[in-house]
Amino acid sequence: MRITFELNGKRVECEARPNKTLLDLLRADLGLTSVKKGCEQGECGACTVLLDGAPVNSCLVLAPQVEGRAVTTLDGLVDDPLMAALRKAFMEDGAIQCGFCIPGMLLSAYALLRENPRPTEEEVKTAIEGNICRCTGYIKIIEAIMDAAERIQNERP
Amino acid sequence: MIELWDGASMEYDKILENLLGRDDYLVVGHSVVRTDALEKALGRARFTADYIPKGTAVVKVVRSSQPHARIKVDVKAALGVPGVLAVLTAADVPGHNQIGYALPDQPFLNGEKVHYIGDPIALVCAEKEYAAAEAVDAVEVEYDPLPASFTLDAALQPDAEPIHEGGNVAVTTRIRKGDAERGFSAAEVEVEDTYETPYQEHMYLEPEAAYAVPEGAGKVTVVGTMQSPFLVREKVAHVLGWNLSQVRIIQALTGGAFGGKDDMGPLVCAKAALAAVKLGRPAALVFDRDESVAYTPKRFPARIRYRSGADGEGRITAVEVDITVDCGAYANRAPFWLWRMTAHAAGPYEVENASVDGRAVYTNKVFGGSFRGFGDVAIHFAAESQVDRLAEELGMDPVEFRLRNVLRPGSRTTCDQLLDHSVGMEECLRGAAEAAGWKRGRELGRKGSRVRGVGVGCAYHGISTSRSTPDWSAASLILNQDGSFTYRTGICELGQGSPVGHAKIVAEIIGAPLSSIRIEVPDTDSTPNAKPTHGSRGLMLGGTAAADAALKLRQRMISVAAEMLGCPEADVDLREGRAFNRQDPSEEVSFAELAEELYVRGVSPAAYGFYTSPRRFYDPETGLGVNYSVYTFAASVVEVEVDTETGQVDVVKVWPAMDVGRAIDPLMIEGQIHGAVSQGIGFTLMERLVVEDGLVLNPNFKDYVVPSALDTPEVAETIIVEEPYRHSAFGAKGVGEPAIISIVPAIANAIHNATGLRFNTLPITAERLYAALRRRKP
Ligand code: FES
Ligand code: FES
Repeated sequence: MRITFELNGKRVECEARPNKTLLDLLRADLGLTSVKKGCEQGECGACTVLLDGAPVNSCLVLAPQVEGRAVTTLDGLVDDPLMAALRKAFMEDGAIQCGFCIPGMLLSAYALLRENPRPTEEEVKTAIEGNICRCTGYIKIIEAIMDAAERIQNERP
Repeated sequence: MIELWDGASMEYDKILENLLGRDDYLVVGHSVVRTDALEKALGRARFTADYIPKGTAVVKVVRSSQPHARIKVDVKAALGVPGVLAVLTAADVPGHNQIGYALPDQPFLNGEKVHYIGDPIALVCAEKEYAAAEAVDAVEVEYDPLPASFTLDAALQPDAEPIHEGGNVAVTTRIRKGDAERGFSAAEVEVEDTYETPYQEHMYLEPEAAYAVPEGAGKVTVVGTMQSPFLVREKVAHVLGWNLSQVRIIQALTGGAFGGKDDMGPLVCAKAALAAVKLGRPAALVFDRDESVAYTPKRFPARIRYRSGADGEGRITAVEVDITVDCGAYANRAPFWLWRMTAHAAGPYEVENASVDGRAVYTNKVFGGSFRGFGDVAIHFAAESQVDRLAEELGMDPVEFRLRNVLRPGSRTTCDQLLDHSVGMEECLRGAAEAAGWKRGRELGRKGSRVRGVGVGCAYHGISTSRSTPDWSAASLILNQDGSFTYRTGICELGQGSPVGHAKIVAEIIGAPLSSIRIEVPDTDSTPNAKPTHGSRGLMLGGTAAADAALKLRQRMISVAAEMLGCPEADVDLREGRAFNRQDPSEEVSFAELAEELYVRGVSPAAYGFYTSPRRFYDPETGLGVNYSVYTFAASVVEVEVDTETGQVDVVKVWPAMDVGRAIDPLMIEGQIHGAVSQGIGFTLMERLVVEDGLVLNPNFKDYVVPSALDTPEVAETIIVEEPYRHSAFGAKGVGEPAIISIVPAIANAIHNATGLRFNTLPITAERLYAALRRRKP
């Protein structure tokens, strides 16, 4: 079937079987390999994308469900100031090891800070609870999200 | 030892003082932003599955549904499924079908007999995923069941069905040092128990994957997840019956490995390669999560009977340890795993009398394999529990008791190896205890139903090869015409960042900005063989080969620069991408100019670095001698809070310390420690693989629960102890594996401190702790 939706700010039209997941549509058909496949069971968060701004596991969303909606991946936020702050903090704080969880982690963190610019540590932990990272033990990731929040806050007039 | 051009020689840990002529490090020891961080933060880092184009043939594995059976395979129906390109069985393997790592017990594809549920039988190749899945079901396997053993005791019964020829004991080990019985007669207290540790699944975020492309006539390129490109090359060539040079292996960025992909890299890549070669077109194999959990090697389970004694002074007088490792269906790494447990059986303590026996036993379950910390995690859980109990029996403080026994410079290990330097155990233990305020006492009290407790764990971990097996590594470094560098190592980036560590070592020696050193992906057609990324050797061995390459190139650059600057070589220094005269730093040439001059003069701008570990001695008869070339030492203090109403344990805070030899990058060390704390919490408290009659019942993140962000404790700044190792670049030792070893017993000891309950099996889940608390209540 034909699906029309907004992907990273641009309108796309594509053909997909109704049972295709958004994850496969993005990765295989549209070449967005920043979206990772870790389990296809909605349990690891590696496939996180923003659907109308809210983080979802794209392996649990069927392609037809995004009809008329807005999907954002990391690729669409390269120049976004909030994402740039997160990226910088992740890099400087040593929050990135293998990097496989990182796109999903950054998108969950981004969604959190958009809603709640000064989260507590507990709120950060809860926001990324669904994003499994087996490398970092989360400590530097949590630290980086807190740092990014603080920096963005300080930069505001 | 480095041979210098003037005939003198120097130890690798003295490069700064003796060769660079500086007092301070410019790069080493300072935390940097990893050079691979940006591409990962942009989502542009490419992992294996990201390379697979549409139209690639899909490969799927047909697996045994029986734990132990003779089989007959019929592929006719599967070949009839529309879209199926081929179905490959053992009969289609052109080279060797025997792929066992340490022992020849493991068929690549099983044609006659299966040994566990999940044993590979055939490969289905199809145009599309769904056709492949349909064909997997259409392969007819006729099973003639054999009696299966699922426990050590069952497998060790005299009448147990042998899982492999030669019976169910795959390998044995033995150490006799001093006289254990005499040691026990000198003991005032004695403690004995049997400890059991379970499987642990790696749960790396990226499932196993390989993408193979046939090239021309008689060549294949495989891109895959792995830890040892050259081992993968060997196994792929072995299965295809080709020369090593006909196989090109490229390690794509690997999304976590922790040992698991050292085992799975060769097995997965060889399957994709065989399919691609047979089909004559690109083929790819990507595991599902349940496949990755249910059928791939995990931490070997073990059972350890442990008896130890101490005298009234608090000295351990003897240990007697009996170790049984559960191999599962294949020995795989069990001989090395078991030996490591055997050698480290006394923990990081000097014990004069030791008697250690071990055996690795086959069962009809998923097989074990490499996992961070190797057998040292299990053996330290037992050893450190014992040490705590001895202290308790003597009424001594557990830290004080340990301090009376720890290995120090001049001590001898259980293998009677003299440790003459780089032994920072005492400093680690003192450091962690002091940071945690250990002396303030451990009575942390209770708040309602919640009680707190503190525990300590010590650990040591031999680096790289054991039993004096020689180890070596290679690397290459090219100075490009614009003054930038191309660095190649076969040591893999798995998340731990070893190659970045190498680049830092190069940058320090050669005076180049880190950003000007490009680390190429490992590619066996162009990368020097650095040997595997395992055994905590990646930084130590690989980095020392990098240092060797840098030292060679540095010397050539200095001699050309001296002529360009018209000054003696001794006055030339290299820094920030330029060569200058120390006497007059304004006289300088850039690396670009210098490179041009090297090329024009025909002075080689490329260096091949090679490092081999010092010769050692070991006696296979007694198990005594120089075992591992050096050891990393670690200690952790852990504070837990136990909810006595639910049995739930929260790790509140961890104080880690580690003797790393020399810290190449403190931030990366912390990263390793934090990851290990999390995996250690998982192993000790949460992770439980449920295997019933050989079937893994919880092969997913939902039911095999690993720590999430909510399980993250506070971790104090790592106490980094630096006792340099003489034979590695700047004295650095491996850190990734040792980091997990001390955490596990520290948590168990803290739970004991909080509740008075001592657990000899893991994981200590809330249900078990709750049940134990209930049982104790009158
Ligand atoms: S791939 Fe979607 S949650 Fe794991
Ligand atoms: S960095 Fe490897 S899974 Fe998070």
